[in-house]
Amino acid sequence: MFCSVVSTVIYGVEAIPISVEADVSDGFPSFTIVGYVGAQVKEAEERVRTALRNIGIRLPPKRITINLSPGNLRKEGTRFDLPIAAAILAATGVIPGSRLRGLMLLGELHLDGKVEAVPGVLPSLLVAKEEGCYGCLVPSLNVYESGMVSDLSVWGLDSLKDLVAFAKDGVIPESGAERDEQGEVSENKVDFSQIRGQEAVKRVAVIAAAGFHNLMLSGPPGSGKSMTARRMPGILPPLTEEESLELSGIYSIAGQLPDHKGMIKMRPFRAPHHSISPSALCGGGRIPHPGEITLAHRGVLFLDEFPEMPASTLEMLRQPLEDRQITISRMDYSFSFPAEFLLVTAMNPCPCGYYPDKSRCKCTDYAIAKYRMKLSGPILDRMDLICDVPEVQYEELKTGGEDPLSTAVMQEKVMRAAEIQRERYRQEGWLFNSELKPERLERYCPLTEEAERLLERAFRSLHLSARGYHRILKLARTIADLDGADVIQTIHVGEAISYRSTERNG
Amino acid sequence: MGKEKKLTEEIRFIKKSDSEYPAILNCYERMPKGLYLKGRFPDPDRKTVAMIGARGCSNYGRTQALHFSKMLAEAGVQIISGMAYGVDSYALKGALEAGGKAFAVLGCGVDICYPKENYYLYEEILKKGGGIISEYETGSPPLSWHFPIRNRIISALADLVLVVEARKKSGSLITADYALEQGKSVFAVPGRVGDACSTGCNALIAQGAGIAWSPEVVLDELYAGSYVCKDENEEAVNWRIMKLSPEERKVYQCLQATEQSVDGICNVCGMESRLVAVCLTSLCMEGLAVCRQPGYYCRMEEWE
Repeated sequence: MFCSVVSTVIYGVEAIPISVEADVSDGFPSFTIVGYVGAQVKEAEERVRTALRNIGIRLPPKRITINLSPGNLRKEGTRFDLPIAAAILAATGVIPGSRLRGLMLLGELHLDGKVEAVPGVLPSLLVAKEEGCYGCLVPSLNVYESGMVSDLSVWGLDSLKDLVAFAKDGVIPESGAERDEQGEVSENKVDFSQIRGQEAVKRVAVIAAAGFHNLMLSGPPGSGKSMTARRMPGILPPLTEEESLELSGIYSIAGQLPDHKGMIKMRPFRAPHHSISPSALCGGGRIPHPGEITLAHRGVLFLDEFPEMPASTLEMLRQPLEDRQITISRMDYSFSFPAEFLLVTAMNPCPCGYYPDKSRCKCTDYAIAKYRMKLSGPILDRMDLICDVPEVQYEELKTGGEDPLSTAVMQEKVMRAAEIQRERYRQEGWLFNSELKPERLERYCPLTEEAERLLERAFRSLHLSARGYHRILKLARTIADLDGADVIQTIHVGEAISYRSTERNG
Repeated sequence: MGKEKKLTEEIRFIKKSDSEYPAILNCYERMPKGLYLKGRFPDPDRKTVAMIGARGCSNYGRTQALHFSKMLAEAGVQIISGMAYGVDSYALKGALEAGGKAFAVLGCGVDICYPKENYYLYEEILKKGGGIISEYETGSPPLSWHFPIRNRIISALADLVLVVEARKKSGSLITADYALEQGKSVFAVPGRVGDACSTGCNALIAQGAGIAWSPEVVLDELYAGSYVCKDENEEAVNWRIMKLSPEERKVYQCLQATEQSVDGICNVCGMESRLVAVCLTSLCMEGLAVCRQPGYYCRMEEWE
């Protein structure tokens, strides 16, 4: 007898529907899995056979063939155990095959029949909806991921026994009824009010957040660079429903959804160590996994000790910083991962960290130059805001209480500018000034005559690149938006230029 | 290959008995039996000033080293130093830029350019008719104990030793000691009280060193008041300052020779930080201010 059930395979950040077919026929007893499958899928044979026996079902001594279709798509992972078991059960007549119609199945099996969680359930549920399924059977440990998907019945299975019961009697396994409608409401405990003083730094943080501009923090050790970075997600506008769903899908595939908390409601903050490998940063593997830059999508990617990162890793960032996505090509497939992150980097001004305070810094000019040489021109060119984080003065530390410039106050400023941008780019399909395409600059960045002259003078005397020029203009646009100004004025351009480059020798 | 060949070619060994050996060295004890030389020795008929100072100098040290060496070189003074990082290299650089002659006494063989980043100086010195001098055999590596010893040659070859920036315990002070032993005048560029980089200089002044508060003071000492210097730079700067807007001028007046943070400048001139940032950007573009570290600005001097 033949039976086919629906499941999914994860490719990049998308789920692709596949059908799991089982055929049980007369012949020499055997168990074969075909369909361009990897070793993990091949091993499903042992898991399925043993799990079935351990819940009291013996496979008949027949020739069992499993096919995962389409056959030209590489399949990896353990998510096919459950659909394979279901297809076999239906093909051998243990359960009625009609019960499985319109259902999508996913899950790994233990030898005792317990169903184990698998990554990538959320995007699979969305695909199930598109494919016209009415319901899904997923591991009960993954049920919380269904919190945001409407119009789809999702049942969680604890054990293979639940599947048999469900198919035979139509009884919904009990634990499956639960749905976490709440989602994650994680309290963001960090707040800008915990940073006293540092007004200039906070100003820069607001500008960076308002226009999604890359930010580089430079300062002596202990001055609050990491503290500032960690508070950046808090002042970004809250995630919209779609953004939250998109992010949750990515985290589901990466297997990094916070346990039993449902959706990602907060903007991500990723701070990988500087020893991170290029493929962990950008994504990699035979079937590539999302890297840190994708996990930081719509959030903040913080790279501390920026110059300590190996040059090869650093240069990998260049393309995603421009294209806002990364494409990884493999022999038979190209994978695109979204990477619209706000890059925040931190570095010391010199090897000892105290330059230009010469009473403490004993670095020679050469040592400082060498330290900075670790950052290539193209990478520095992509830093829109370079900001000094000075040491906190004792007086500022001592004035007790919280700083009046709190996350809430700053976020309000950001939201106002974000709203202006959303209105302006309604037709264009992007949200922030930093995404402005060069050919649209003239249209969206009108300048006063005086501002135009200042920009022209800067272009000549600072030897700006075309990209540098565009980035200054976009930054000035954001600063003007924060002021609520339609036309960009001299003070906006001047401020934008002052944040740009390190070496300005006139 | 070309570089290596350049380093090893035209090296001469001048024995003490040779006529070319600087006569002035015979006046002192513990001088080497011979010197390795590329190029030539300082001209004994012209004045020579040894400029020494911290390797990790501040921006103040950098600009003063450039300023003094340029002015001295323009007055025909030969500049001699150790070609180390910091003050040493800026002194040589200033002299060469002003078209003067520069000499370097190394702590390694003359065929080794140490530090290698100063190779352009090494080349320029020879091209402009200066000399690279060492008491160490060709091929000798730059060992740490070579450097204080070679300082006695630097001071012996000079008519005057000028210390630009020195910390409390600085190798430059060793050179100053040699100079005093050898009966040379020692001058120090004064620094602000509390500046770690200038402690050594101020201490030298307290001990009786000459106060080099301008290049003219040094020239006065060298030529016994017979040198009249010309001063055109002042006016050029003034004219550029005249062009500035009132806000820019106010900000410019707050700038100093050492780096100041934008916050600091705001506090001094009492203006809003955004406006100050715009003024600073403008000053940078005019070449009146310079930003070597984000958020920190200092005056850009005419001679830079």
